[in-house]
Amino acid sequence: MAGKIKKLITSPAGTLGAFALAVALLAFSSVGGARAALTYYSETYTSRVQMYDIGVTLLENDKEVSWRNYDSRKDNGSWLEEKGALLEDMVPEGEKFRIGAWYPEELKVRNSGTINQYVRVSLYKYWLDENGQKVQTLTPDLIDLELLTDNGWMIDEESSTDERTILYYSRVLETGEVSPAFSGRLKIDQSVTAKVTQTTEKTENGSKIITTYDYDGVQFCLEATVDAVQEHNVEDAVWSAWGRKVTVNNGILSL
Amino acid sequence: MRKRAGYSIAFLAFVMVLTAGVGRAWAYFTTYASAQGGITIELGNETEIEETFSSWTKHLTITSDADSEPVYVRARAYGSGRYPLEYSGTGWQAGDDGYYYYNEILPGGGSTSELLVGIKGVPDKEIENGTTFNVVVIYESTPVMYHEDGTPYADWNVVLDNGASESGSAQKEGE
Repeated sequence: MAGKIKKLITSPAGTLGAFALAVALLAFSSVGGARAALTYYSETYTSRVQMYDIGVTLLENDKEVSWRNYDSRKDNGSWLEEKGALLEDMVPEGEKFRIGAWYPEELKVRNSGTINQYVRVSLYKYWLDENGQKVQTLTPDLIDLELLTDNGWMIDEESSTDERTILYYSRVLETGEVSPAFSGRLKIDQSVTAKVTQTTEKTENGSKIITTYDYDGVQFCLEATVDAVQEHNVEDAVWSAWGRKVTVNNGILSL
Repeated sequence: MRKRAGYSIAFLAFVMVLTAGVGRAWAYFTTYASAQGGITIELGNETEIEETFSSWTKHLTITSDADSEPVYVRARAYGSGRYPLEYSGTGWQAGDDGYYYYNEILPGGGSTSELLVGIKGVPDKEIENGTTFNVVVIYESTPVMYHEDGTPYADWNVVLDNGASESGSAQKEGE
């Protein structure tokens, strides 16, 4: 019996049969997806034009800074994009930045598309010298950005480092909805002023002291990237788009 | 030959299996938005002391360089101990540590009001004999710090942070 099976498998007919079976399996494997797609589209048939328009906007202190929205009606579908700058309005005109003082830095996300979505945010904090190179001797911890996590935002501790923090919004963000703020305010720790070098020059009437701060002229930087993904089949979508396993129960996303 | 055909068919089947899910993976709707910004920290400051001596009194004025950050200033004088020193001047206030503190924040390009240090009780006899003695004035400046609510304060430890005995000080001998 075993010999007959072995003979059948090793024969050309057996190989062709196995191939035909593989083709048939592949064909059937796509039926589920196709059927799901048909259900998906047919449910939203009347609003079909808006179904494909995903979009997300980053807000800083309630001002729209950056966005990337899909518009299926324009040129048979195109992206409307804007990339703005953070911290531009932090220091009032005519004033200097005050080390140690808190400044408002409320960052939020708005669903500017026409389908519901889940969002996450990647925040980067770092220091640059006058040549635009990263300053490795200054810790990003001195850039104290107050994160707010009791309002639906949660930190992905596994993926976060001193320089990078990743936050997920656990609830679905509906069309037009603005999320709660994931940051509240920002300050620079005063220990950045602790490193000084002083030189003394004799003058005609006395002495002149020149205090040089080791970190004079460095720039602190904040970078935020918002990612959005469709609500439908979100677990697979997040895994595919962001490479992160999440679970969603009753609409609540957890890591 | 048949063996090679078999391998080809098997490879084709393998590729088809691998790519079967690609279409669905590309079908997810995603987007993103990003922004970046930074602020440069300006910390430098330079101060200069100017003093004149007349009628057994030192007249001290401390000036901040135009490009300097706002600073707080304090000063004190050391004499031989034989004759007492008397401080006076508008805007200057005695501290518990022997320093006299200038009440105001000294902005870039600004000057303090005069701090007067008088040497008292020098007998005419010593003046006639040409006796000399030193009075050394030391002053320090420290950058203005801010509490979390934005109110300014001075942290004198910052000046002393480099550990040098001459930190933030200026001195001049007077007769």
